[in-house]
Amino acid sequence: MTTAAAPVAAPSLTTRLRHADPSSYFVYVGFVLIFAVMAIALHGDGFLDPQNLYNILLQTTPITIMAVGAVFVLSTGEIDLSIGAVVALSALVSAVTLRDHGLVPGLLAGLAVGVVVGLVNGLLITKLRLPSFLVTLGMMGLITGLAQRVTNLQAVPSIDELYNGLLGSGSIARISSLLFWAALFVLVGHYLYRHTRVGAHVLAAGDNIRAARVSGIKVDRIKIGVMVASGLCASVAGLLYTGRLHGATYSLGSADLLTVIAAVVIGGTRLFGGKGTIVGALIGSLILGMLNNGLILAGLSDSEQQIARGLIILIAVALTLREDKK
Amino acid sequence: MHKSRLVVAAAAAVALSLSACSTGAAPGGSSAAPSSAPAAPAGSSVIDIDITGTTGPNGEAPTPISDLTLNDADVAKLKAGQYTAAQLWHTSSQFVTAVQDGANAEFGRLGIDVLATTNANMDAGTQANQVQTAMAKKPSVIIGLPVDPTSAAQAFQPAVTAGTKLVFLSNVPTGYTQGKQYTSIVTDDLYQMGKQAAEAMGTALGGKGNVAMMFYNAKYYVTNQRDAAFRTTLTKEFPNIKIVAEQGFTDPNNATSIASALLTKNRDLDGIYTSWSQPAQGVLAALRTVNNTRVKVVTLDIDDTVVVDMASGGATQAIVADEAYNLGKGMADAAAYGLLGKKAPPFAVANALTITKANIADGYRRSLNADVPGTVQKALK
Repeated sequence: MTTAAAPVAAPSLTTRLRHADPSSYFVYVGFVLIFAVMAIALHGDGFLDPQNLYNILLQTTPITIMAVGAVFVLSTGEIDLSIGAVVALSALVSAVTLRDHGLVPGLLAGLAVGVVVGLVNGLLITKLRLPSFLVTLGMMGLITGLAQRVTNLQAVPSIDELYNGLLGSGSIARISSLLFWAALFVLVGHYLYRHTRVGAHVLAAGDNIRAARVSGIKVDRIKIGVMVASGLCASVAGLLYTGRLHGATYSLGSADLLTVIAAVVIGGTRLFGGKGTIVGALIGSLILGMLNNGLILAGLSDSEQQIARGLIILIAVALTLREDKK
Repeated sequence: MHKSRLVVAAAAAVALSLSACSTGAAPGGSSAAPSSAPAAPAGSSVIDIDITGTTGPNGEAPTPISDLTLNDADVAKLKAGQYTAAQLWHTSSQFVTAVQDGANAEFGRLGIDVLATTNANMDAGTQANQVQTAMAKKPSVIIGLPVDPTSAAQAFQPAVTAGTKLVFLSNVPTGYTQGKQYTSIVTDDLYQMGKQAAEAMGTALGGKGNVAMMFYNAKYYVTNQRDAAFRTTLTKEFPNIKIVAEQGFTDPNNATSIASALLTKNRDLDGIYTSWSQPAQGVLAALRTVNNTRVKVVTLDIDDTVVVDMASGGATQAIVADEAYNLGKGMADAAAYGLLGKKAPPFAVANALTITKANIADGYRRSLNADVPGTVQKALK
């Protein structure tokens, strides 16, 4: 098990490599391998086309951002099943508020959805001592119903150019705004997780909750915080979908929960707490994006794509988790 | 500690499987609905629609897909053009498979190479990604069903910008105009399907009796239109048949309990109509439980379980289906019109088929272009 510790001076690269857990490198090897196989097998099908590679980066942005939140949640030994539903509700609330009250209220309302849902999740988990699995499963149903109810299944267009531009349709120096959002969340997430006391406390809470409490860590506050962060990340993903698609609908994010968990676990984050990596989650997200893209370009039928994706994910998860079983 | 982790793992597995199943149930018609759509607002009904026929999204008159024809010169030109296609579907089902098969066969005949096939699992964001991905292969045409008309306008924009010919099934992206952004819409004859279901019910009951409607209670264009057409036709053409109960459902898996309640409340029921075959299975189960041999069932869309019930002389009297295979063929032909610069009909519709015990094999083949399975053949003997 990983023992959480306060940040210390970084050891040399050789020392780090010698003491490193080999499983933490599988994701990078897997990424390179899958990329190489696809590059060779699909070189005539547009896989290596710069625009296609760029598309993969853009398409994985919402998953990457949610994965950052999920790393924090899983690291504390909890799980958040409500993120897919929060995506839809945030998107719809934001689009409706944008239409009725303008840009800033639209942005704030959408983000508030995630924060409030995360806060409620966190309070139920810590104050009532309910399992996060059950709390967020119930919340997923509640939010899904609300998302369908809020506009009675009608999609809401977003015609505010600034909103759309900021959140996925625009670009700065020919670089999509989506990439700036992904970079911001990964960098801030990585810094908080690896280089601050918050990150150390998150890991400690997930590794051994009793020891964490005894050592004075405010575990409840940490758990509420990670649930709020997870909700906020899901909200941002919902806003990015809205900006990119110029509209919100209740089905947004419905397929994202599994993808986010798969990306995070493939990336090397332990499902039961105490160990995680933000950069690994980013790579996991890119692996899944690459798979989705490559299997379509390979001309496989839908069922063949699902079988291939399932097999590759199984292999990746088995390799990543193998060391944990020892 | 170890034990608690096992419990969490098991719970997570259940959660993931629940989540994976959440979009499974769907009408077999031209577009699938989520299994847990919300009920319509209280005091209104989603099937309170004034309907007299199937028209396009902008009121276009329907053209039969059989009117789409390509002569030898057209086919030669298409083959010489070395065109390519992508199929971007909204979900997977027996219906989508039949449409896809029809499109594949026709694309093959026309020398158009299918480069990519996708399934968006009813997620608009996923479909936007899939359009982008498919465009990496620069297809000449894209056929498919836009999951959400509002966001599809942006999602399909890369294809519009690239000049790719678009042919849509049933839905059209908001703001798109035929001839500018897309070539044609192809769909079921929704009104005719509901109408033929009502006529089949009327015939099965000999023109008189009490009927209950179990309808999909969510705002969903395909089922709403078909259900409204059923009710309108039954009321108009069969004055001696009374609709004594209209019960909505949002989860087809609850059909058995809803049907049981209907049977308990309406002991003089002669017929039950359901919006599609999956809830019809629930109705049949409820009838079998109480050994009810009086109630006749009419439903829409082919499902092998219901077909077996009809073949073996059960409660099912008719299944109204569309020509799914021909829909796919029609989409491929409409796309070919676009490639050739021929004027394609803005709104093409496939025929509706009434399948009864007397024409099961023929109807099944016309709808899905497949022979009835062995279980059905056995039940027919």
